[in-house]
Amino acid sequence: MIRLAFYNFIRSNNVRIGLLFLLLTGVISLFIGKQFVEKQKQDIIDTSIYQKEFIEHYVEFKKDDLGLLLYYLKFALVNETLPISGLSIGQRDVNPQIKSVTIRGLEGQKHDTDLNNPNNLLLGNLDFSFVLIFLFPLLIIAFTFNIISEEKESGTWRIVSVQSKSLSKLILQLFSIRLVLILTVLLLILFLAIPILDIPLNVKFGAFSAISIGYILVWFGICFWVVSLQKNSSFNAVVLLSVWILLIIVLPAAVNNYLTNKYPVPEALEMTLEQRKGYHEKWDKPKEATMDKFFAHYPQYEKYPVPEDSFSWLWYYAMQQMGDDESLDSNREMKEKIALRQKESAAISLVIPTMHAQLTLNQVAHTDLGNNMQFLNNLDAFHENLRLYFYPKIFEGHPVENEDWSKFTPEYASMSQPVNWKKSLLPLLFATLLLSVMGLLNIRKIRRL
Amino acid sequence: MGKEIQIAKLFWKAAFKNKGIFLLIFFMGLLLAYAAYSGKKNFETQNQIRDKYQKEARKDWVNNPDKHPHRMAHYGHFAFRPKAPLSVFDFGMESFFGNTIFLEAHKQNTVNFSEASFSTGMLRFGEISIAMILQVLLPLLIFFLGFAAIAAERQNGTLKMLLIQGVKWRTLILGKSLGILAVVMTLFIPIVLATIFLFSGLQDMNTSADEFLRLLFIVLCYFIYLVIFCVIAVLISAISKTPKAALISLIGLWLLLIVVLPRISQALGASIYSIPSKAKFESAIGDAIMKVGDSHNPDDPYYKALKDSLLEAHQVDSVKELPFNYSGYQMREGEKISTEIYNQHYDQLLNIYEKQNGFSKMMSFLNPFMAIKNVSMALSGTDFSAFMDFQKQAEDYRYNLAQEMNELQIKHISNEAKSSSDKNHILDNDHWEEVEEFEYKPSTISQTFKNEWISFVAFLFWTGFLAFLIHKLSKTLKAI
Repeated sequence: MIRLAFYNFIRSNNVRIGLLFLLLTGVISLFIGKQFVEKQKQDIIDTSIYQKEFIEHYVEFKKDDLGLLLYYLKFALVNETLPISGLSIGQRDVNPQIKSVTIRGLEGQKHDTDLNNPNNLLLGNLDFSFVLIFLFPLLIIAFTFNIISEEKESGTWRIVSVQSKSLSKLILQLFSIRLVLILTVLLLILFLAIPILDIPLNVKFGAFSAISIGYILVWFGICFWVVSLQKNSSFNAVVLLSVWILLIIVLPAAVNNYLTNKYPVPEALEMTLEQRKGYHEKWDKPKEATMDKFFAHYPQYEKYPVPEDSFSWLWYYAMQQMGDDESLDSNREMKEKIALRQKESAAISLVIPTMHAQLTLNQVAHTDLGNNMQFLNNLDAFHENLRLYFYPKIFEGHPVENEDWSKFTPEYASMSQPVNWKKSLLPLLFATLLLSVMGLLNIRKIRRL
Repeated sequence: MGKEIQIAKLFWKAAFKNKGIFLLIFFMGLLLAYAAYSGKKNFETQNQIRDKYQKEARKDWVNNPDKHPHRMAHYGHFAFRPKAPLSVFDFGMESFFGNTIFLEAHKQNTVNFSEASFSTGMLRFGEISIAMILQVLLPLLIFFLGFAAIAAERQNGTLKMLLIQGVKWRTLILGKSLGILAVVMTLFIPIVLATIFLFSGLQDMNTSADEFLRLLFIVLCYFIYLVIFCVIAVLISAISKTPKAALISLIGLWLLLIVVLPRISQALGASIYSIPSKAKFESAIGDAIMKVGDSHNPDDPYYKALKDSLLEAHQVDSVKELPFNYSGYQMREGEKISTEIYNQHYDQLLNIYEKQNGFSKMMSFLNPFMAIKNVSMALSGTDFSAFMDFQKQAEDYRYNLAQEMNELQIKHISNEAKSSSDKNHILDNDHWEEVEEFEYKPSTISQTFKNEWISFVAFLFWTGFLAFLIHKLSKTLKAI
């Protein structure tokens, strides 16, 4: 019986076209992801080439003055784009993966952006997560909205209901057929992703797949529950489509407006003004004003003398340091504000599966806002290490040629975003369970006609 | 026209008998109210913040003590991008634009702190603005209203009767379209009124002629956009056998036009024309500038030749004897050269962006959604060119600021000064106030037409195309 139903379903041209469309857009999305990842890789290669050239050039050019040389030299830190990032590009196209910084004040350089066409950002990426979140549910709706109602409307329900022993079992079987087909397409795309994007088979890919499956299950749950109400086909279609629009277009967008309005980030602008003032004002003040603060921050450099009436790099870099030190508070406040945004959107997403899927997929793929914040923290440490390394050498007047400049190649930030299985999957599984139980209670009440 | 209006009236009555339609319209109205509220709030909060920091940055600038003008050139200024007044209507790309740019000598900085850079990733789902509801959700409402318009008459046999009674196809199509349009107007007219009210309220009733024209064209274009979808709904209904088939086709069409095609067209544009990496872009500029000469290096051959010619012209032996500050003169030259080179490269980059965008612009002829999206953003001042315009004005300001400081140095600083940190050679701080404050001037509507003419032409194309389809189908359609 179930085999017959399966063949009957798959024989329909519409079903085949639907599945093929999904598979095709899925595969296209993989290539779009691949193109993105490769461009990011190329950017890293470019950066290491130009960083090397730049350093070589300036080492030659400013060979007598280490302090002056380091005014110019830029060192890159990379937040590597993983192969799996191609599946869910997330915020990676907005937030740069490479930051090249000098040892001067960090805050003035930290937030510089990449070259970006805002139109590309606006219209968004057609990546796998888009296919999964936007398009898969539509096919699930199209496949399931008339499971009972069509038979009723065409008059075959009576025959079917007489023939089968358990109606609820029959309905579940019809749903399973569709679930298996859709999951097959999903797994096929994910399987193809492995060679196309060169994704390693690790716990991240496992989690990514599990979240994708969980998301599909939620939509089957939604459809199952609506179908279990046993209304007519057009009612089901309109209700399901409205749910789709609500969950995918209206609610996330409304939440977005709400968060933007509730948490504006003026701290960023405050910080940026403060760091300018913190540094530049020092030029007009007596040197002690700067040096006292600097030596309080780095007592280990107190031993170096500061000439009273002439320029010195120690004074210069101490002034630069003040830009960062004096904007520390607003910098912290900005981070706290962003953390608040993250916290609240994660909380809201617990009840909106589309948002939850997007946010957790981004998390697993290292393309979320949290990833960028972690990268910026890494950048703080990277920059501090550069300072600690070069400060004493500059202050002691080390010759430029004594340094092995070839070792300053772009470094990689060590990012750790462990998969949080519970938080990622439980909301999806809970929603599925709830909807299924509600649906099951409804179909148990079905009486034979 | 009498018969068409009669058909439209019948349609109107039938539509409002449906409770679902009431519910939908009520829900849309609610959403629109939220969109208006949140657009206004965002506009007010953001502009308040930006205005505050713009003033603070200016205060910091003016309050600088006496100092060497080159230190002021490095002190620099900030430009905060004000939100366009019509962004309360259409957010456009604003969330993806940076808001803050630091303007200093020798260096073109990026515009930082876009809303997108603070977004947790949800921005990908879009934002709710009045324009978004009109562009995305109203066509769907139109399709829900209109899918059965003719197909239902066909299914229950009344279509045949109508045609036998002498009702022409053209009359039927126009009448039904008019009926849908009338129902949609119950939402559209309040939206228009609310937008005008909201807009002039924010401007303290000081709406300029330019802004008024923009609003007028927005209303006109959206009206045409909605008409296009009404006609599409009726035409699809006319060629479908059953209402169900019509509904499926229409929903498929909606998904294609509004969800899938825009992404595909932009992805295509972006993959064909690729943007260079920042490292490559900056390195190319650095190389080109270096090829000319380094203005901070006194022994540089280019600037040495410049110096020698100056010395000769003034009949002196060293720069110290020149009647003006030589180092300022050299930096003025350097700023001019580096800015020219930067602008050349930046124009090339913009050219790539324009080519990428060209794809979605041409899509306006295939997709009325792209046409309205582009036109609406352009008229609201929240489009690509508005941002480029801001960047251009900020860069011009930066250049003038740097050169003004160089001029002050040339004029007032002695050639005895060792460097800009030399406390013996400083300039009175009265000069800082003489520098004009940055003020962004939005572009005029004629500029908008120039930038976005393709999308306006696309509207004309769509109007003509649908008139042609109505004419053509009126002859070939069948009753059964």
